[in-house]
Amino acid sequence: MRFLALLRKELRECLPWMLLVAIAFFAVGGFLLRAEAYYGGYRHYSRLSPGTVVDHYQLTYYQTLNLTGPWLFCLSIGLGLVLGVRHFWIPHFTRTWPFLLHRSVSRKSILAAKLTAGTIAFVISLGTVWVALYWYASRPEVFAIPPTVRVFIEGWIFIMLGLVAYLGTALSGLSTANWYTTKIFGLVLATVIIVTTLSQWTLAGIFTSIAVSVAILLSQIFDTFLRREF
Amino acid sequence: MIETVLETEGLTKYYGSTLAVDHLDLKIPQGCICGFVGRNGAGKTTAIKLMLGLLRPTAGSSRLLGCDSQQLKPAIRQRIGYVTEGHRLFRWMSIAELEKFQRSFFPKQWDDKFFADMIEYFNLPRRRKIKHLSNGERAQVSLALALAPNPELLIMDDPTLGLDAAIRRQFLEGMIELIMRQGRTVLFSSHILGDVERVSDRIVVIDKGVLRANCSLEEFRAAVKKVILSFADSTPAEVDIDGLLHCRRSEKELELILVSTTDDHIGKWADRTGAERYHIVKMNLEDQFIEFTAPPGRKKLFRWEEI
Amino acid sequence: MALWIQILPGSSEPIYVQVAEQISKAIARGELASGDKLPAVRKLAAELVINPNTVARAYSRLEQAGLVTTKTGSGTYVSDPKLRRHDAADINILTDRMDTLITRGLNLGLEEQDIIAMFKGRLAKFVNKKAERRKND
Repeated sequence: MRFLALLRKELRECLPWMLLVAIAFFAVGGFLLRAEAYYGGYRHYSRLSPGTVVDHYQLTYYQTLNLTGPWLFCLSIGLGLVLGVRHFWIPHFTRTWPFLLHRSVSRKSILAAKLTAGTIAFVISLGTVWVALYWYASRPEVFAIPPTVRVFIEGWIFIMLGLVAYLGTALSGLSTANWYTTKIFGLVLATVIIVTTLSQWTLAGIFTSIAVSVAILLSQIFDTFLRREF
Repeated sequence: MIETVLETEGLTKYYGSTLAVDHLDLKIPQGCICGFVGRNGAGKTTAIKLMLGLLRPTAGSSRLLGCDSQQLKPAIRQRIGYVTEGHRLFRWMSIAELEKFQRSFFPKQWDDKFFADMIEYFNLPRRRKIKHLSNGERAQVSLALALAPNPELLIMDDPTLGLDAAIRRQFLEGMIELIMRQGRTVLFSSHILGDVERVSDRIVVIDKGVLRANCSLEEFRAAVKKVILSFADSTPAEVDIDGLLHCRRSEKELELILVSTTDDHIGKWADRTGAERYHIVKMNLEDQFIEFTAPPGRKKLFRWEEI
Repeated sequence: MALWIQILPGSSEPIYVQVAEQISKAIARGELASGDKLPAVRKLAAELVINPNTVARAYSRLEQAGLVTTKTGSGTYVSDPKLRRHDAADINILTDRMDTLITRGLNLGLEEQDIIAMFKGRLAKFVNKKAERRKND
């Protein structure tokens, strides 16, 4: 009941950004896939030199993620930064921390509500649109060869990187240290993880680095939030 | 026996090397309205935030309703109302949304009718967003939100700052209304001593982080006195009267600010020092406060040149 | 009950003294007759927006002066003037105050008759009101 009230409040604060990002991704991604389906059909095959062996994944990657991926990535990181600022920086400027923290719930719940809302925001806005686009691309009348599951998972990796950006922004926002000392740690860690993820393509490696960074960020966020002064 | 609802022991807070609150030992009994006064930067907000567990003390501790401030359980917070400095509420919420939000944290104690009555009394539009309200209207919402759950202890951080006389009066009415219920206690900080005098029965004075007074308002009113003594030739070199806070002298007059010195004692001292006349000046609360918190040796800022 | 009590925060008189003085004045002028009930402490506190303890303190001051009596469980009533007592000290205070007034008057250059006339005029305001009130009852 109380947690739901908190969750509703935090989600409502994300809502404008969720809608903006979802609509943008849906419009751009939908347009690109549709254009590719109609006009770009064999573009990629024709550029390949004769005799090249094309694997299934690579082919469908070109059809879908190569087009929508950069958009998904940028929107995801952008959403992460914006939500991180909304949830953990704006309350300093509006001075609403004291009002929020004097609740008949534990501090942990207040933080958990924020983080849950942030995660839900990603899943609902970018996640559902990505599922919808993937479903559209998988239809046989759109692309002759439907995209592989790996393509689908790689889309989710971009979304998870947005979440890492969100947590990094959150940690930097909560830290009371100076920028040139540990305050910047959250953002730096998020950047490092994002960059290394983009440059390595074994799924196991990616998931491990994301999982480790999320674990580090979460523990630091909880530690800072429960201990800091407002 | 009257219960102590708010208690601090050696509560101390440093910001870096700046001392904000200095060994505060405070006990507030149940059932009073306590005016918490001090000059700007005296440490009132810091003390209140320490009590509510929003800040961590450098040393010492504080307890609200018997529970340590640093580990206020949700069940205890539920019994405490807190009106934050500047009435900072979520700007994007409408009054109705904020009511729903606040109510969900007080499932049993929230008084729907009381809140509705207050909003109607203040003539506030429920659908209006907080960011579109004036400062006064936002303060009224904040007051209604704090009173509707019927808190046992209400702590307000300078609630009437910058508000007009009518809204200030509503805050005072709200405090009186709350205190009439069984076992309620109010602590509010303020710069408006007229307000403090009107509704408080207890006064806490803090100056540069140090507790200077914690007593009933009447005791404070009776304790701080100004005495003017006139001498025939010159003022005595040494002023050794009990309870002396400040001493200003001109050629033939002494102006003393005394604390807890009986009139009888003043008379005897005046006789002993050979004063021609003496006069105990009745001060109002504001003058008492200004004299009480003035740094020693203070002179008036502006002086008329003698023509 | 026509009880017009004005609170002046920021005055050098504490608020409980202000309340007590104004009620005692109302009693002297006959606006409150013996047997009249004073408003309940909580009611007056809410009306004047002052602390209930302040009202209680004002009432107990009046009670000490013998102007009112408190009946437990019922309320505070204006006492019967015949039952009010005064001692030599009270009379001393009164003559002291009168001396101050007479000094002022004479120093202003007023004649003896003027002062007596003024005094009678002021006194009439209190006594007439009392008589008027008795007639209305």
